[in-house]
Amino acid sequence: MTDPRVWLAIAATMPAAIILLTLAPVDVERLRRFAVGAAVAMLAATIEVATLPHTIAIRESALTWAAGGEALLRVDGLSSVLLPLAAGLWLLTVAVTPRASLDRAGLRRTALATLVTLASFLTESAVVLLALSVASLWTFIAALDAHNYQRRIVAAYLGTSTALFGVGVALLIAPHARGTWWDTAALWIIAVAALLRKGIFPFHAWVPELFDHGRLGPAILYSAPQVGAYMAVVLIVPRASPELLRLIAILALATSVYGAALALVQTSARRACGYLFISQSALVLAGLDCTSRGALAGGLIVWLSAGLAFAGLARCVLVLEARRGHLDLSAYHGGYDRTPLLAISFLTMGLACTGFPGTLGFVGQELLVSGAVDAFPVMGFAIVAASALTGLAVLRMYFSLFCGRRDVFAHSALRFELTRREAWTFIALVVTLIGLGIAPRPLVDSRLAASDTILKMRSFLHQ
Amino acid sequence: MIALPLASLVLVGVGSPLVLFGILAGASLVNRPLPERWTGVLAAGSMTVACAALASALVVAGATRTGPLLLSFGSWSSSRDGGIGIEFLVDRASLGFGALSAAIVGVVSAFSYRYLHREPGYHRYFVLLSLFVTGMLLVALAGNVEVLFVGWELVGLSSALLVGFFHDRPAPVANALRVFSVYRVSDAAMLSAAVLLRHTAGTDSLALLFGARGAPAIALTAPSATVIAILLIVAVAAKSALLPFSGWLPRAMEGPTPSSAVYYGSLSIHAGCFLLLRSAPLLAHSPAARALAVALGLATAAFAALATRVQSDVKSSLAYAALTQVGLIVVEIALGWNTIAFVHLAGHACFRLLQFLSAPNVLHDLHGMEETLQERSPRAVGLEVLLPDRWRRRLYLLALERGFLDNLLDRAIVTPFTAAARRLTRFDTALCEAVLPADRTLASDRTVARDD
Repeated sequence: MTDPRVWLAIAATMPAAIILLTLAPVDVERLRRFAVGAAVAMLAATIEVATLPHTIAIRESALTWAAGGEALLRVDGLSSVLLPLAAGLWLLTVAVTPRASLDRAGLRRTALATLVTLASFLTESAVVLLALSVASLWTFIAALDAHNYQRRIVAAYLGTSTALFGVGVALLIAPHARGTWWDTAALWIIAVAALLRKGIFPFHAWVPELFDHGRLGPAILYSAPQVGAYMAVVLIVPRASPELLRLIAILALATSVYGAALALVQTSARRACGYLFISQSALVLAGLDCTSRGALAGGLIVWLSAGLAFAGLARCVLVLEARRGHLDLSAYHGGYDRTPLLAISFLTMGLACTGFPGTLGFVGQELLVSGAVDAFPVMGFAIVAASALTGLAVLRMYFSLFCGRRDVFAHSALRFELTRREAWTFIALVVTLIGLGIAPRPLVDSRLAASDTILKMRSFLHQ
Repeated sequence: MIALPLASLVLVGVGSPLVLFGILAGASLVNRPLPERWTGVLAAGSMTVACAALASALVVAGATRTGPLLLSFGSWSSSRDGGIGIEFLVDRASLGFGALSAAIVGVVSAFSYRYLHREPGYHRYFVLLSLFVTGMLLVALAGNVEVLFVGWELVGLSSALLVGFFHDRPAPVANALRVFSVYRVSDAAMLSAAVLLRHTAGTDSLALLFGARGAPAIALTAPSATVIAILLIVAVAAKSALLPFSGWLPRAMEGPTPSSAVYYGSLSIHAGCFLLLRSAPLLAHSPAARALAVALGLATAAFAALATRVQSDVKSSLAYAALTQVGLIVVEIALGWNTIAFVHLAGHACFRLLQFLSAPNVLHDLHGMEETLQERSPRAVGLEVLLPDRWRRRLYLLALERGFLDNLLDRAIVTPFTAAARRLTRFDTALCEAVLPADRTLASDRTVARDD
C-alpha cells in the first residue's frame, strides 16, 4: 500500500472508532486498552504516511483569493511529520493517564482532540483552521468542567485568540483584500492570535496559571502539538513582511529566555513545567524568522522535540503526582530507588527539552543557531542563555523530585513502581528522542525540504 | 594513506567508551543492570581498547611525522548542506591527551570495581563514568565547535550527577546543583564564543581557529579575537575552578573518591587547561586576554595554595593543591610555554590521581602509626610563619572561608537574579488574576505555587 490516502484514512479512523466505542457500555480500563491499541495503530499509519514519498492535495478556491486555490486537505513535507506527533501525543496520554483520572468522557475527549489536531495539521485553509480552532477550544473547555479558574483562563485567553483569529481570517479572505492594507491588518491580527495561543511574551502569563491549576492532562494534550505554530507557518510565514517575522522572532527569543529564567525559581513543579513549555516552544517561532533554511529547519525540528519532550516531562510530573500528591520544588522528595525508570525518563526528557547533546533537541537548536548566526546573531546568544537556564531548571527539578531523601513514605507497601504500560511508554519516548538525536539524518533532510517548500511559497506569494 | 588507519584508530578510540555507555545505559533504562563483574570487565575492556587505539594512533602519527590533521567523517545530521559535521583534529597533543584520559579512566575503573563493591549506585557510577570519558575524548580530539561542545556538555553533566552520587542525602544533591550551575556558565561562555566565531569568521572549524601551525588561519580582527579569547577564558575558568569560580571545588568532593580523583584531581579540572592550550594561537593574538589569563592563573594559584593548608578533609585539601597547579599551568599557557604546560598538565594529572586514590590508605596508615606512637604526627610548616601574626590570622580566615567566593557570587549574581525572577513570577500571576480573579474558596482555584 503506497497510497498515503489509505494510511491517512486508517489514521483518522482510529480516534473516530474510540469516540464511538466510548458510547458503548465497555469497562473503562478495557476502553483504555482499546485506545492504546488504536493510538499505536494510528502512530504506525501516520509514520507510514510520513515516510511515503507521495504528496496529496485536495485544492479548493472557494474560500481563498490565492491563485489556484488552497489545499483543504493535503499531506506534504511540512505536515507529514506532524501527523505522527499528534498520534504519539495521543498514545502518551491514554497510556500513562493515572487510573484515578481515567473516565469514559475523558477518553472520548482525548480522541476527539487528537482528531481535531490531526485535521488541523492536514489543512492549509484559513477558514478550515478557524473552524478546527473553535472545535479544539470547545473540547478543551469541556475537559475542564470541574475547574472553574482553569476553564475561565482558557475561555478568556484562548477565546480571545480564536476571536482574533476569526477577525484575521475574515479580513484575509475578504474579496479584493490582497495587496491592500486589509491584507496587512489581517496578518498582524492573526500573528497576535498565534502569539496569544502559544503564550509568547507579553501574552504568556496565562500558560503557567493554566498548568498550575486543575487538570494538567488536557493542558498538555492541547499545548504540546503547538497548533499556534502551525497557524503561523501556514498563514503568516508565506505572506508576512520581514519586519513582522523579525518582530515575532524577537518576542519569541525574549519569551524563551524569560520562561527559562522563571522556571528556575518556581516552587511548584506544574508551574515550572508551564514556564519550561513557553521557553522551549517559543524557539519554534524564533526559527520562523526565515533568515535561512537551516534556521527554519531547526525551528521545525525544535517543534517536534519540544512537543514530545515537554509532553513526556509533564506526564512524568503527572504520574509522580498521582503517587505522591502535590510536588513542591522547595523540598527534596527522594524516592529514586523506587522509581528509577521514571527518574531517568524525567531527566532524559528534560535534557531533550534543553537541547542536550545526543537528543533531538540538540539537533534542532544547533541548526537554529548555525542557520541564524550570520544574519541574526542575537538569536544565537539568546538560545545559549535559554538553554543554559533551562538545563539548570531541569536538573533542579530532577534533584528535588527524585533525590535528596532516602524515601518518601514510611509505608513501604505502597506501590510506587510504574505499571508495565507506563514503563514501556516512557522507554519508547526516551528511545525516540535519543534515537532521533543520534541518527537525525532522515528527519533533518525532510525538515530542510519542508523549509525549502515554505521559502518557495513565500517567494511565490511575494512576487 | 596515513589518514585511513589514523581515522580508524581514532574512531575505535572514541567509539569504545560510547558503546560501553550505550550498553550500560540501555540496561539501566530497562531496569536490568548488568552484574557487577560484567560491568567492571566491560569498563576495563572498553578503556583498554580506547587507550590502545589512541596510543597506536599517536605512534602512527609520530612515526610518520604527520602534522596536525583534520579527520572529517562527513555531516552527521544531514545529507544536504548545512548539517552538523563530525570532525576530529588529530595531532600529538590531542592524541596524547586522549590516550592519557582513557588510561586514567581505565585505572580508575579497575580501582572502582573493588572500591564500590555492593554500592547501590554501582551501575549508575559506571554509566556516568563512561559518559564522562566519551566527553573527555571528544574534548581532546574535537575538530569543530559542535564536537567540542558535545564533549564539554557530557563532561559537565556526568560530573554534576556524580557529585550527587549519594543522592539520598540533601547535601550532595545541593552541591551537585551548585556545581552544575557553574558549569552552565562555562557552557554558555563557550557557546557564545562559538557563536561569535561563526559570525565574525564564518567558520566553526577549530583546525582553523587553533591554527595548525601556530597562528589562526582565519582572519579575525583584534577586538573579535580578544572577545572570543576572553569568552574562552571564562569558560575555562568556570570548568577548571579558577577564580572567581573556585567555590564549587570543595563542594564537588561529595562524590565517591574514585570520581573525585578522576574529575577534580586528574582530568575534568584539566579540561579547561587543555582547551586553553589548544587556543594558544588565538591567545597569542590578544595581549589583553593573555594578561587576563596570567592574572587569573596567578591569583588562583596563590589562593588555592592558601586554602589547601587549612582544609580539614584530605579530599578538599588535595583538590585545592591540584588547583594550585592548574593556576600555574594556565600561566604557562598564557606566557606561551606550551610544551612545558602540556608536560606539566599530563604529569600533574597522573600524580594527583595517585594521591587521591591512595589518600584513604595513607590516612589509615597515619592513624595507625599515631595510635602506635601515642602522639600526633608533626605538622608541616610553610612560609606563612614568616608573616606577621595579624596578617597570618587574616589569611587564615580568608583561606578557611574559601575566599568568601560563594558569598560573593551569591550576592552579586544569584540573589539579585532569583529576586528578580520571583518578582516577575508575582507580576505574571497578578497580571492573570487582574483579568480573571480566582475564587480562593474553591480548591481547584487555589494557587498552589508560592514564590519562595
